[in-house]
Amino acid sequence: MAELSGAVPDYDHEIVPPGRRAHFWRRVAFTPNGAFGLAVVIVLIASAGLADLITPYSPIKMGVGPRFLPPNGAYLLGTDEFGRDLFTRIVYGSRLTLMIGAIAVGISLTVGILVGLIAAYRGGWTETILMRGTDVLFSFTETLIALACVAVLGPSLKNAMIAVGIAGIPFYARTCYSAALVERSKPYFEATIAAGAGPLRLLFLHLLPNVLPTMIVVATLGLSAAILAAAGLSFLGLGAQPPDPEWGAMLSGARDYFNRAPYLMVIPGLAIAVTVLGFNLLGDAIRTALDPREGSE
Amino acid sequence: MWRFLGGRIAMGALTIFVTTIAVTLLIHLVPGDPVQIMYAQSQGTTPEQLEEIRHNLGLDQPIYIQYVRFVGRLFQGDLGYTIRGHQPVLDVILQRLPNTIALAVAAMAVAILIGLPIGFFAAYKRGTMVDTGLMVVAIAGVSVPHFWLGLVLLLFFAVELGWLPVSGTGPLNLVLPAVTLGLSNAAIVARMTRSSMMDIMRQDFVRTAEAKGLPKSVILSRHVLRAGLIPVITMMGLQFAFMMGGAIVVENIFAWNGVGRMAVEAIFQRDYPVIQGFILTFAVVVVFVSILLDGVYALVDPRIRRS
Repeated sequence: MAELSGAVPDYDHEIVPPGRRAHFWRRVAFTPNGAFGLAVVIVLIASAGLADLITPYSPIKMGVGPRFLPPNGAYLLGTDEFGRDLFTRIVYGSRLTLMIGAIAVGISLTVGILVGLIAAYRGGWTETILMRGTDVLFSFTETLIALACVAVLGPSLKNAMIAVGIAGIPFYARTCYSAALVERSKPYFEATIAAGAGPLRLLFLHLLPNVLPTMIVVATLGLSAAILAAAGLSFLGLGAQPPDPEWGAMLSGARDYFNRAPYLMVIPGLAIAVTVLGFNLLGDAIRTALDPREGSE
Repeated sequence: MWRFLGGRIAMGALTIFVTTIAVTLLIHLVPGDPVQIMYAQSQGTTPEQLEEIRHNLGLDQPIYIQYVRFVGRLFQGDLGYTIRGHQPVLDVILQRLPNTIALAVAAMAVAILIGLPIGFFAAYKRGTMVDTGLMVVAIAGVSVPHFWLGLVLLLFFAVELGWLPVSGTGPLNLVLPAVTLGLSNAAIVARMTRSSMMDIMRQDFVRTAEAKGLPKSVILSRHVLRAGLIPVITMMGLQFAFMMGGAIVVENIFAWNGVGRMAVEAIFQRDYPVIQGFILTFAVVVVFVSILLDGVYALVDPRIRRS
């Protein structure tokens, strides 16, 4: 799990925002990594959006087929211990996975940006308290924070999303803080203060738009960590509960049958791995396309 | 150097202080009545008994008094009693903690033995197909969920081949969990090593060494590796924390009797004293290890040792 997975690649280079660079997406999509990542993400979004159309059965209703049927023509990926179609459950699972990733990252991103911006803008005691606090939380690792949150809130899919979201805050706060410090030292910022702009205008109309591109790149990479973390919680039984077709929970359920039906365990795991790999490669490709240091070498 | 270490120790103390506050508050953040939730699983507890428990846990006192009492008992090595079984929490934790630390250290060894050479080699071959290939493998390694990797290894090495035990706590049992946890972190170590080594390779002193005609092997082993390892040491602290976090999941797969498995069970059983004890122990271990590594770092890096 980054943390829970520990999947924290190095972000310490300066990131040049998209938009300022011509043909940015072309540069991402024409690298092998970027193309693969983009393809995975597109397939994921399509299967989440079209789940009702492309699946032949219900993801939750039991006994749509025989139990433990290995992959075959009628049940593409086989059936599980309750005679549910695994393909259908995997496709619906993509919907849950995207939702979990989006909500968790949304929480981390919103709070992280606020903390980072305020710390960088206010300076002084506010900065010390906010950033030291962030350091303290950061040293706990996301796993422990998420676990503590679930311990307080109780195990459920909703709480797992909140827990993973809270656990990610320190990381986003740190990244936003360093990006905002860079912006604060630029001449335009001083000019805006001299022109008499108030704190809210400075924070939300000047700092925020300038850190946002960096934060969006970071969030693409963060999505993979959040998805992995939430799947880990569900695997432990602390997140999504049966009969939800969540991949981590499905993997956990398959443990009892792994002699009899190893495909029940292999397939959801592959789904998580490919999804996380897709977001990692896409994020990495975006970062490389934006990093002035890499391409020139 | 002492200034540097002093700062780190102060930061560690602050971390533990914040943890004690968080742990005291934890039980009050639970939606609903924590005492009722804790005892919901034991049938036939009367309201009078619940009141008594509330009083015994000190939950009927103002929160700052609870905190002072909590810290006071902490200094006497008293973490309270488990709800299930009524054992001292400290004993329950100390009994399992060595297992978790053994797992984390073994996993860290696996991660370093695999990740470091790969990262170093990728930096050496930077910009080539080998470098790109190795880094794609590393990203793939980061992407594989370790709970899945663990199950696949278990299925293959323990169930199919029968080479290693399926579950339990013993020296041979350590192999699969350590490899599971180590492999997924080897990828992170490889990435960190690569970027650290590449930073060093760009430095002027490396160019000077090249200019004076030193063989490449000497430049790499004597100049690049030694300087490049220093930042890697600092990152080990965070890595160790990741291992401790990862152990929570991995212990559950392999039924390894550590504190992570205990914590997850405690969450299911709503055994809050155990959860509090776990979080505090985790913080203390992580802080201790990171200060230890900072000490090593200060000794190894002459820029800090002589400051």
